[in-house]
Amino acid sequence: MIVSVNWLKKFTDIDVSIEELTELIGARLVEIESVEDLGEKYKDVIVVKVVECSPVPDSDHLNLTKIDDGGKVQNVERDENGLVQVVCGAPNVTAGMLAAWLPPESIVPETFADKEPFVLGARELRGFMSNGMLASAKELDLYDDHSGIVAVDKEAEPGTSFAELYELNDYLLDIENKSLTHRPDAFGIIGFAREVAGIQGKAFTTPAWLDTLNPEITSNSSVETPSVTIDEPELSDRFQAIVLSDVSESAQSPLEIQTYLSRSGIRPISAIVDVTNYMLLLAGRPLHAFDYDKLLAVNNDKIDIHVRSGREGETLALLSGKTIELSTDDIVVANGETAVSLAGAMGGAATEVDANTKRILVESATFNLYKLRAVQMRHGIFSESITRLTKGIPAPLGAPVLVEAAKMMGQFAGAVIASDITDAYPGKHTPIIVSLQEPIVNETLGTQFSAADIKELLENVEFDVAVNGTDITVTVPYWRNDIHITEDIIEEVGRLSGFDSINPVLPTRDFTAVRPSDFDLLRAKVRGLLVRAGANEVLTYNFIHGDVMRKAGQNPETAYRLTNSISPDLQYYRQSIVPSLLVNIHPNIKAGYDHFAIFELNKFHTKLTGLTEENVPKELDGLGFVVAASKKANKKSEGAAYYEAKRYLDYIATELGLEFAYEPLEADADYPVTQPFEPKRSARVWDTKTRERIGVIGEFKKSVQKAFKLSDNVAGFEISPVSLLKLTSALGTSYEPLSKYPGTDRDVSFQVASDVTYGQVYDAAKNALSHDSDSTLRITLTPLDIYEPESGETKNVTLRFTLGSYEKTLTGDEVNKIMADVTEKVTTATNGKVV
Amino acid sequence: MPSHDLDSVRLQLLERVKTSETPRDILRAPEFKDLYSAIGTLAPEEKGPYGKAVNELKQAIETAIEAREDELESSEIETLDVTAPWDVNSTQPEFLPTNEGSAHPLTTEMTNVIDIFTRMGFEAVESRQIDDDYHMFGSLNFPENHPARDGYDTFRTEEGFIPPAHTSTMQNRILKAGKDKLEAGGQIAAISYGRVFRNEDVDATHEHTFHQVEGVFVSKDATLGDMLGTLRSFFEVYYGQTLRIKTQPAYFPFVEPGLEFAIEKPAALGGKSGEWLEMLGCGMIHPNVLREAGIDPTKYRGFAWGGGVERLVMLKYGIEDLRHFESAKLNFLRKFA
Repeated sequence: MIVSVNWLKKFTDIDVSIEELTELIGARLVEIESVEDLGEKYKDVIVVKVVECSPVPDSDHLNLTKIDDGGKVQNVERDENGLVQVVCGAPNVTAGMLAAWLPPESIVPETFADKEPFVLGARELRGFMSNGMLASAKELDLYDDHSGIVAVDKEAEPGTSFAELYELNDYLLDIENKSLTHRPDAFGIIGFAREVAGIQGKAFTTPAWLDTLNPEITSNSSVETPSVTIDEPELSDRFQAIVLSDVSESAQSPLEIQTYLSRSGIRPISAIVDVTNYMLLLAGRPLHAFDYDKLLAVNNDKIDIHVRSGREGETLALLSGKTIELSTDDIVVANGETAVSLAGAMGGAATEVDANTKRILVESATFNLYKLRAVQMRHGIFSESITRLTKGIPAPLGAPVLVEAAKMMGQFAGAVIASDITDAYPGKHTPIIVSLQEPIVNETLGTQFSAADIKELLENVEFDVAVNGTDITVTVPYWRNDIHITEDIIEEVGRLSGFDSINPVLPTRDFTAVRPSDFDLLRAKVRGLLVRAGANEVLTYNFIHGDVMRKAGQNPETAYRLTNSISPDLQYYRQSIVPSLLVNIHPNIKAGYDHFAIFELNKFHTKLTGLTEENVPKELDGLGFVVAASKKANKKSEGAAYYEAKRYLDYIATELGLEFAYEPLEADADYPVTQPFEPKRSARVWDTKTRERIGVIGEFKKSVQKAFKLSDNVAGFEISPVSLLKLTSALGTSYEPLSKYPGTDRDVSFQVASDVTYGQVYDAAKNALSHDSDSTLRITLTPLDIYEPESGETKNVTLRFTLGSYEKTLTGDEVNKIMADVTEKVTTATNGKVV
Repeated sequence: MPSHDLDSVRLQLLERVKTSETPRDILRAPEFKDLYSAIGTLAPEEKGPYGKAVNELKQAIETAIEAREDELESSEIETLDVTAPWDVNSTQPEFLPTNEGSAHPLTTEMTNVIDIFTRMGFEAVESRQIDDDYHMFGSLNFPENHPARDGYDTFRTEEGFIPPAHTSTMQNRILKAGKDKLEAGGQIAAISYGRVFRNEDVDATHEHTFHQVEGVFVSKDATLGDMLGTLRSFFEVYYGQTLRIKTQPAYFPFVEPGLEFAIEKPAALGGKSGEWLEMLGCGMIHPNVLREAGIDPTKYRGFAWGGGVERLVMLKYGIEDLRHFESAKLNFLRKFA
């Protein structure tokens, strides 16, 4: 919305600079997006009198004029009478008229904002010197009319500044509409001016015509008062109508009205339309004019207006030229059975006011704002009118605006009031009264206002306030339908006096420390571990394309689907983290990264896990990790990618004080999380001690590799940080005191059949050690080597046993005895031998 | 050709696919040629249904072929010893170079923000990533169909769940959880943080997925002055300098009064006097919101605020494009190694 400062000044004093004013409005009313200095654009435009005017010889349209600028402009060629010669091509130029002159060296306002504004000069036309130009509305950037020059319609001495005469030495404030969503009253100049007065600490008085809620009119009663029925009261609070006759549709509104419209972004059209737009801007109240005779024609010469819902299969041709299909959720104005306008949004083409219009019916109505909001969306209509109506315009405003508009139409277009006003008014307004006490205001804001201060602030914007001691009774003016409760009044007091004048302090609190969330601490620790081990944390969208899910072997039917996503890429909630990582492997390899690991700690969702007690979907937390190398990185000699991922997972386990067990992933494992993983080269991960499930690790299915363009050198895991938290919170300290005595290493190679796993050998050794009941002994196990000869029938697993005691240095015999016992047990359990 | 013939051809072909080593060749089997050439012999009204049946058959065979191909492929896959620390005849894999590892700048900053608020006495609660209308709107004093809902451009799932458009989706839960403590003479002081979602087209300055931190404070005597002081204090700690603040009236249904909060651009960001940064929206919690959580608004008052995290990070590092954050590009991420 554009707000003209000069227009505001007609209703309230503004005695601060434009900078201070915008600062004040920003801090106490609404966000201003930009300020335009209109005065700069019009500073050189001068009102002149055309003294002589005669055709230029040999030209079919040019006139040679002599103009009187009151001697105002310097450095311009004048004749002996002090007049300036200008050649003018406009058909309406005549001697004796007042016009707007752009002298040489001035900028044509139309080009003011251009990169290279057009600067006028003195130049010869058909052999005659022309100094500057007489300007059209288009050249003055008032509105798009280039058919003739602007005729100055006010009395003025030649030499008067055009900007001063038409109040164009103005500033235009571009207001951010969104921050006034709840303030329909501020969507009109008068309401805005009321606020500008209030925030300056000045009392505002609404103009008498607007404050008269039941204005008198004099009608010649040449037509019957239009019959209006609101079929369903919830559709409209109030619908008023009046008929005007003797309308001259060709009449134009005065230039001043036109300039106010155009500077507010509305194109002047004709006196009738201009008046409805002018009232819209001035009072924030839309009006609509129907051609009365056309209206009669659609219903057998009768006026029987109904406000009703649209009907199934009903259509309506709009002013815009578009024919819409109505929905039962639309509101229409109908005469008889025929819909004649989409209420609040746009009039119908069949009853459009045109050059032949003699009589008009003017509507002043409000409509259900919730329904209008849906109408806006359904039909894509975002006019100035509907924008205001969807804010909830108060019904009492209707009468004064309608009467004032009728008067203006009389002045500008000869309109005569031909009927009384119909007033269908099911939604009568009852004033809201809010009672509160002074202390609650100060206690909420942290201020020290007296009841009298509060009274003055509110009365400045025309609230009715009664004070009795600390009791304050506020009668809310009808235009403030956003104010209902004490807190609303507190806001008004804070806002009008300026929130920035409140002293910022800190609340008092005791010394109780807040414990950071254990889950956050755990995630921070895991994140830190992975970063230290060279991995890169990523964040990716929760929403993925159904194809990504299918490529990962997952079934989109178990995923939550968005119904209004902007793109198929964001169709579904992801059902695990790893697929989002797989999407990003190939692009990073293409970007030149041969070997890297990425991970994400985030949430995922699947319908499979059902709802919480609050009936919202259960949320699952995942840590997804993928390590990848390009084909050319040639990592074959370093073994399968699986083990690289496992190195990272074991590292997390060790650093958290845990130990994980790995068991082959069954082929039929059917969870979204496991689906991308190749069963033959993947494992389920468990906590060794508690058998708590941790997650899944492995390489990816061939189909997944193909779909995401992955090499064989890619593996990953997805685990549950919630399980990690559960396990780590149950852990005691894992510290073991140091022994004073040196330990001994013994390396043993066990040869076992190739189908015996490393885990079986290792677990057998661990079991054997745990059976040793001597608590003074300290024995640890470390893998050294896994060798498989080419025959592939056997493999050698070499483990290092580190033996020590807290009480003494173990002798060779003691160590031999322990080792003999252990190796015996391991070979028996694994059906192997020591080599 | 009668339909039972189609069925028997289907069975034969499926059987062949199951045992074939080169299943894709079956698509060129003579049976298909016969089926298609039979179309020409049919009456015009039979052609349509028959053609459709043949196409369906072909589809079924193709699906079976894909399954068989996968089976063949995976039978070539060698089984791993998943319990081993490294591969046979190999050594323990090395970690990637530690200097290339990086935490995401958003998580780093989020941790920093949470840390400051924790030290100020606020508990931290992670925000949900899928929620319902009640928590997103209803419990926060947004009436059904109210135009204020438009500003949030929410996504919806088929079931009517909402990817939350603000972390205030946790506010009702936080208030309910803190009610007992409040009534025992304490205060509610908590932040909720996490991802939020808006149905917006993505460009350098717009994202459908971003991060917010929201804060809530409720006590017997909280004031708007307390709110301004708390927020200023946070930003002064965050930027390590004293700051001027200013506000602007704003409308959010869940607060009354509602404000936009701005700080003077800190020196660390190259700020000059008179340059302002809009940081967040805030206000005194609307009595309806307290009431909805079972808290008596005549006895307790509170304030709440919420702001974006991306903006803090972009300002801090001079990041030019919002899209980098969720791009998973190592080019970007390694700048934070």
